[in-house]
Amino acid sequence: MAEFDVNEAMVRKLAELLDETGLTEIEYKVGEHAVRVSRAASGHLVASGPLPAMTGPAMAPAADAGPRTGAVTAPMVGVVYLSSEPGTPPFIKPGDTVSEGQTLLLIEAMKTFNPVRAPRAGKVVEIAISDKSPVEFGEELVILE
Amino acid sequence: MFDKILIANRGEIALRIHRACREMGIKTVAVHSTVDADAMHVRLADESVCIGPAPSTDSYLNIPAIITAATITNADAIHPGYGFLSENANFASIVEEHGICFIGPTSDHIALMGDKIASKAKVKELGIPVVPGSDGAVKDIDRAKEVAEEIGYPVLIKASAGGGGRGMQIVQERADLEDAIRKAGTEALTAFGNDAVYMEKFLQNPRHIEIQVMGDGKGKVVHLGERDCSLQRRHQKVLEEAGSPALNADGRDAIGDVACKALSTLNYRNAGTIEFLYEDGEFYFIEMNTRVQVEHPVTEMVTGIDIVREQIRLASGAPLSFSQEDVTFSGHAIECRINAESSDDFTPSPGEVHTYHTPGGLGVRVDSALYAGYTVLPHYDSLISKLIVYGASRNECLMRLHRALEEYVITGIETTIPLHQDIIKDPDFVNGDYNIHWLEKFVEARING
Repeated sequence: MAEFDVNEAMVRKLAELLDETGLTEIEYKVGEHAVRVSRAASGHLVASGPLPAMTGPAMAPAADAGPRTGAVTAPMVGVVYLSSEPGTPPFIKPGDTVSEGQTLLLIEAMKTFNPVRAPRAGKVVEIAISDKSPVEFGEELVILE
Repeated sequence: MFDKILIANRGEIALRIHRACREMGIKTVAVHSTVDADAMHVRLADESVCIGPAPSTDSYLNIPAIITAATITNADAIHPGYGFLSENANFASIVEEHGICFIGPTSDHIALMGDKIASKAKVKELGIPVVPGSDGAVKDIDRAKEVAEEIGYPVLIKASAGGGGRGMQIVQERADLEDAIRKAGTEALTAFGNDAVYMEKFLQNPRHIEIQVMGDGKGKVVHLGERDCSLQRRHQKVLEEAGSPALNADGRDAIGDVACKALSTLNYRNAGTIEFLYEDGEFYFIEMNTRVQVEHPVTEMVTGIDIVREQIRLASGAPLSFSQEDVTFSGHAIECRINAESSDDFTPSPGEVHTYHTPGGLGVRVDSALYAGYTVLPHYDSLISKLIVYGASRNECLMRLHRALEEYVITGIETTIPLHQDIIKDPDFVNGDYNIHWLEKFVEARING
């Protein structure tokens, strides 16, 4: 990125303009370079209309998405393990054909490991969850065709 | 202080707990069933975990799911709210075994107070007045007849594993006693899996007055005064007041003192409420609830103390924020429990809330998780809002409550707001002249009239 000196005079002028006009933000751009001055909003947060759905970074997206067709979803809360032991190959990989009842992965809850089995025979299209990640009830695990 | 608290509940109390946490800078985890994904507290919480499908057994009562949710989110404490697992001693000990703090009393005290026979014997030992009765389970019919003669008819046969008003039979005279005991035992076995029954004197026209306490677990217990919860329909409270129109400051101090001394001996920890029947100036213990109660806001309004915040503080190991001398009572507060039910016949009315406008102004508080567009679900209890009003006197409170109920708009579903509007106009209520049977009679007259 090309170096550019801060034009102090310009910044001061923009700041004055902010005060005079009562605006909260002014951005001034010449070519590639832009200067923005803004005043921190002093008002309270106003929530109007429905609030945004908030979930933690580790959790799945908002519930209204709904699971995709062919998705095998988590029957319980826990931590997913894609292989039976650390270092062993995963139970399944994309492209595999599985039979009904075949173990797809494990979910660990309160120190017990619970196998999640294929509800029907099919082909693994996608493994929607990574190893050792926490899942909530109903979260997508595997997409079966 | 805790970094993160998991809220093991739903609806208005989950929101209440979230608010207390937020004000203390504590992160929140909302666990919810699939159908509660759009609940207010779920949307506001820092993190949420779906723990199961709609039925409570698979979600809000699902201990492994809740513990696992706490583990994967690294929550350091769980607040159980009221109902659900809040008085499940097993849950409380499992939580603590997992190195998570249970915000509430000890598992032992939850178990003790959950057993109606054992708790009554224990509190009697500790000096709390109890309803005269059989002092334990009724096993021998001849002995039962003797006891009934001693305490005087009418008597009440109650299931030991019951509570909340369930599993009770009234016996008016000696001739009916034997059958009633047999019948109560059979019903108790079916309903609660335990056929143990005990006998108590049946009080004709008592009020229900309860005392809020908080303990530090080390012997210091403070009371926050009384609530009058006499207005009940089918043993469910409908409206509560702080203080009771029947009690004065001396009466409050006396019973509060007795309660605190008793619980201090137990080293009671965290919040609790001792429920009494009150008749002719005498208090009679019925049960103790080892959790925060639905109607806690009226106590908060007259004392200025944030009960949920104090629960969290105590659970984190902090001492009680106040001594008995610091607790003062000012003004009067009334809470109306608003249900999603018809005011005429109490038919449940789940569905989508179209317009939602809460009352406001000085001394008006609404504890509710409703919002416009929210769908009230049929799967859970019908309490959708608590309207709490404070006034410098009971009269001012009544005027304000009248005004606030007028302003409250909830359309799309039926609510019990009209019922409350009628209750508070009734001269008996205005005079504070009511007992635990009053509301049933009022409702019946209203249906027929």
